[in-house]
This record gives sequence, C-alpha cells and structure tokens, in this order.
Amino acid sequence: MDETRVVESGSMGRVAYARIAPNEDLVLGVEKLCLSEGFRNAFVRGALGSLVDACLRTPDGRYLHVKGPAVEIVSLAGEVRSALDGSVRAALTGVVADTEGKVYGGPFVAGSNPICMTFEVTLEEWLPDL
Amino acid sequence: MASNVSAEFPRPRMLIHPGNAEPVRIRSRQAAQARHVRLALQPGLTLFEALVRPLAAMGIHNASTTILGGVFSELHFCVAPPDPTGRAVIAYTQPISAGRCTLIFGNATMGKDTRGQPLVHCHAALRTETGEVRGGHVVPQLAVVGSDPIPVLVTSLEGFELRVSFDNETNIPLLQPNTELPHG
Repeated sequence: MDETRVVESGSMGRVAYARIAPNEDLVLGVEKLCLSEGFRNAFVRGALGSLVDACLRTPDGRYLHVKGPAVEIVSLAGEVRSALDGSVRAALTGVVADTEGKVYGGPFVAGSNPICMTFEVTLEEWLPDL
Repeated sequence: MASNVSAEFPRPRMLIHPGNAEPVRIRSRQAAQARHVRLALQPGLTLFEALVRPLAAMGIHNASTTILGGVFSELHFCVAPPDPTGRAVIAYTQPISAGRCTLIFGNATMGKDTRGQPLVHCHAALRTETGEVRGGHVVPQLAVVGSDPIPVLVTSLEGFELRVSFDNETNIPLLQPNTELPHG
C-alpha cells in the first residue's frame, strides 16, 4: 500500500474470526491469518486471549517484558497492511494484565508474544479505493 | 519480578501443555460481510443479558464486540496464574470484586457453550473507584451495567458459529469457529 497517502478511502470487505493456538506469536499469527484468508489489508475488530509473557515496545525503543503465565490481553487495536515488497505487516497495540491484574500498555513486539492458552481475533478486510 | 525493561530482545518462551500440540495452529472461518450494530447496554442488566438478548432478537448469535467504555455498578474479574493442580498451564482465579468501576475498554466475544446456549467471553481494562487500573477476564453474569447505557460496537459473524469445545492440547474448553448448527 502507498503509506504516503494522507486519506485513504475504501470499504469493509470480508470478516474472519480465528482461534490461534498456544505458543504461536500474536503479531506473526495475525499476519499468517491474513495470508490464509487472503486479506491484503485488515483492521482488528475484536481480540482477546492470553500470552505466556508479553513484550511491549517502550517509547525509547527498549522492550517491556511482562512475566506470566498468563498475561491476559485486555485491549487490542491494530491493522494489517500489505507492503510494496509483497509482505503483510501487522501493527498491534494494546493493554495487558499480569497474574495480579496489574496493567501495562504499548505496541506488541513481533516475535516475542507467544500465546498461552488461546487468542480469539476478528479481522475485517479493508478494501482501499484505487 | 513481574515486569522489567531491557534493551535486549527477550527470547520468547514456549510452554509445554498437557496434550499434544495440534498440527493446525490457526483455525479460522470467514464470511462475505459482517453486519454492524451499535448496541446500548441497558442499566441494571448484567453484561451477559444486555449483550445476548437484543442481539438474539435480531438474529445475531455469534459476534465480536468492542465495549466502548462506561460505568458498571458491580463487576467481578479473574486473572490467570499457573494452575497449581497441573491439569492445565494456567487456571482462572476465583472472581475478584472490582466493586463499582469504570470499564475503560473491553472486547467481548459472543458464541455458544457446549450445549448450544449463549456464551460471552470478555476481557477488559478497568478503573476502580480508588483510581486503580486493573484488567482481566470479566465474569459477564456478575457485571451489572450502571445508571447510564454503555455503547458497544458489534461485528456479527454469520455463516459459521463460535462454539465451546474441549481442547485436548490445553486440557480446557475453548471457543472455536465451526460449521453452523441449528440454533437452540
């Protein structure tokens, strides 16, 4: 997609729901879901589940590691975009709760957020106008 | 230590579950289009009643919803520490009362239990009356909508259904997308 566009008009297309199994990565799992369903661009319309441990990027570029298991995903928003190099890339941000209910927030780091028991996610396909 | 910040990329841990890992790691279904509904959760009802009844009345039995925030007069939630019995990797605690609280943001999935009856699975972030921010698995039957309606964006899932079935790998019942069975 052209990421320099300020406004991108479009419409919602198909909707997909998935259960992603334990030890799969949250961010890469959402990308694989898009590949398997044939979505090129999508918005997250609902998501909940748990992580073994959570890893969130800090504003200064470091990693906030929240120890589980399980770390509950209590809020998640994000999108998946297809890139000019032929890849898809999910950008997911949210809030997680540790085993005492204490909360942490930020963008999820791809490759370091293994799912603990289950992750339920609903994606809605985004169809940009050409 | 429950959390730490480091400059190093943390190596992810993979846990060993009681059952063998299924070869298929992502089970998904798709529909050509979703219906969208703005639902107002009605004061005095439980989260479960306020979500399920109005949606069932319009023929929506499976949905993904975003609770846009509001006050609950009463709410209980669970967290998920390791299971001391070892039957599963983790087990939910007994419900913890958050009392009267503000739900900051939540997601709830509506599907069916093993008997085909409605089921709501909800995780949310909350602010208690003392200003503490907490989060976890909300018990929908024990969360009561406060004096003002709470807006919810509903995305319907049609042409397939979400049903709880026993998951051998994790050794607990979980919501899974399935071929639609007759309602009831």
